[in-house]
Amino acid sequence: MFASVPPRASTRPAIPAALAGRVRPLVAASSRLIPVAPALEALFPDRALRRGTTTVVRGPAGRGVRTLSLSMLSAASAAGHWCGVVGLADPGISAMAELGLDLRRVVFIPDAGGDWATAAAELFDGVDLVLVRPSGVVSHTVARHLMSKARERKSVLVVACSTPRPWPLGPELELSLCASRWRGVGGGHGHLVSREVEVEVTGRRGADRGERLSLQLPAGLGAHRVQGAS
Amino acid sequence: MRIECKVPLEVERLVAICCPQLLDEGERGVEVRHFAAVLEVVEELCPWVTPVRLGICTIPARGPSRLLGGEAAVVGRLVTGVRQLGHEVQVGVAPGLFGALQAARAGLVVPDAELSGFLAALPLEVLGRDELTGTLARLGVRTLGQLARLDPGRLHERFGPDALLCHRVATGHSGELAGLRDPAVLRRLRQVVGRSEAMPAQPDFYGGADAGQQRAAQAAIRLQAKLGSDKVLVARQRGARDPSARGVLVPWGSEPVAEEHLGAPWPGGLPAPSPSSVLARPIPAVLCDAEGVEVIVTARGLLSRRPARCSIGGDPFVEVGAWAGPWPLTERWWSTGQRRARLQVVTTDQVALLLGWATGRWFLDALYD
Repeated sequence: MFASVPPRASTRPAIPAALAGRVRPLVAASSRLIPVAPALEALFPDRALRRGTTTVVRGPAGRGVRTLSLSMLSAASAAGHWCGVVGLADPGISAMAELGLDLRRVVFIPDAGGDWATAAAELFDGVDLVLVRPSGVVSHTVARHLMSKARERKSVLVVACSTPRPWPLGPELELSLCASRWRGVGGGHGHLVSREVEVEVTGRRGADRGERLSLQLPAGLGAHRVQGAS
Repeated sequence: MRIECKVPLEVERLVAICCPQLLDEGERGVEVRHFAAVLEVVEELCPWVTPVRLGICTIPARGPSRLLGGEAAVVGRLVTGVRQLGHEVQVGVAPGLFGALQAARAGLVVPDAELSGFLAALPLEVLGRDELTGTLARLGVRTLGQLARLDPGRLHERFGPDALLCHRVATGHSGELAGLRDPAVLRRLRQVVGRSEAMPAQPDFYGGADAGQQRAAQAAIRLQAKLGSDKVLVARQRGARDPSARGVLVPWGSEPVAEEHLGAPWPGGLPAPSPSSVLARPIPAVLCDAEGVEVIVTARGLLSRRPARCSIGGDPFVEVGAWAGPWPLTERWWSTGQRRARLQVVTTDQVALLLGWATGRWFLDALYD
């Protein structure tokens, strides 16, 4: 089920390792893209987050939506972009640090009550990237407002949803967690090491890729296309 | 003459650590502070340290001796460690608290089979029962060995239940005797040592503001005005064994605190990845084996049974696919009063949970979402 193939050959010429570290900030500075961690690049048509777009991460409760969506903030915050996290109750600070988030540039509004959407909309004035975890059912109006706010402010909206409560509008990109398996624990021995997840990538941009990729969360290794998936 | 006596299994082998200079508290509580330092040294070797009374603590012998390759090595390590603090120390190993305390006084490692012989030679005075000792002495009973040979029924009839307990201790059937432990020691440790985690001010970052930060700050302050200052937060990190204590959210604009010991390896801490959700209010949980019997953490820090199902906050039971631990979470527990352990549980649906054992119950402490 988790058989994977080696990463597909990049169409771009390889960047010498010595240069790679210096090239990345240049990509970030290019005004339209915000970097993601190398392990997540394969999930994105631009191999980065495109300003003005919305990405929805969805999956069953407890199956990694939180880890994947927070991972999307790691390279951005480390590259100097301010991020806002709205509606994410009880965030694990150590986990975020381990994922590579620069916590000095992350503003949290874990509990804005019924006002989470207003808070998120206002946060776009201050940060480049807003992660929201909606509470309750999201109306079309609210979803449209937030997505247009991201577009207007040339920021990035990341929405973390659990499966029973979908985001009502089609985002530019949707990442659906469809399977996961933990490694490292047995019958009373070992410890949690990482989980292998399958992510289905769909969306308007990068055109209905409908691809299934498997990756490790926390992301250490790159994503691999799942064998047999179209 | 040897008294035949099989040590029952429930008498656990203990290492007793006794600092004779710290047994009595002086006026300024210096001894309590020194004893706390001794506990921390012992805790580095074994987290399941139990203060018995001021100046005396025990650890289970089994785990550490496996770790270091023998009980003599454990004794050696403890003696070296405590002497480095500048205190005299006596260490001994034997089954049960009473045996271990006597072994420490003599500086001995007493094997299970030799416990009765070791105890038999001790004078009755070691029981700390003046009246009983005096009466028995007039009857010609002067050692624990002689006491052990008396008929327990007659002893009980004549001297009461405490004498019966003394008899059980003398025969090696029990290690507990009223008065061995001082229940006030924990309270005293907490009073004197307490927990002061004041952290020095953070030197830099918030000093020099760039454009991005100014923009973020303006938005944050506006939102604070709208939602309340306690609703707009930033994260602060610090080192701690307990994942829930490693990070805190504080209101935007509050005094920055140093990121203390970041990246330092935390002995006994859970390895990464850390849980992505750490519950501010842990939810009561129930963990059962396949027969529906509750699984608990034993005094030795082991699970009583193999977990098969768990229920969180009264929800329907879910199947446990795998688990790891328990890990003791006993960092200076004597100063907080919480003796705790952690267990990682993965359900068959691949949801990973971090359960905490505290006050004799399970709680859902965190989730690996």
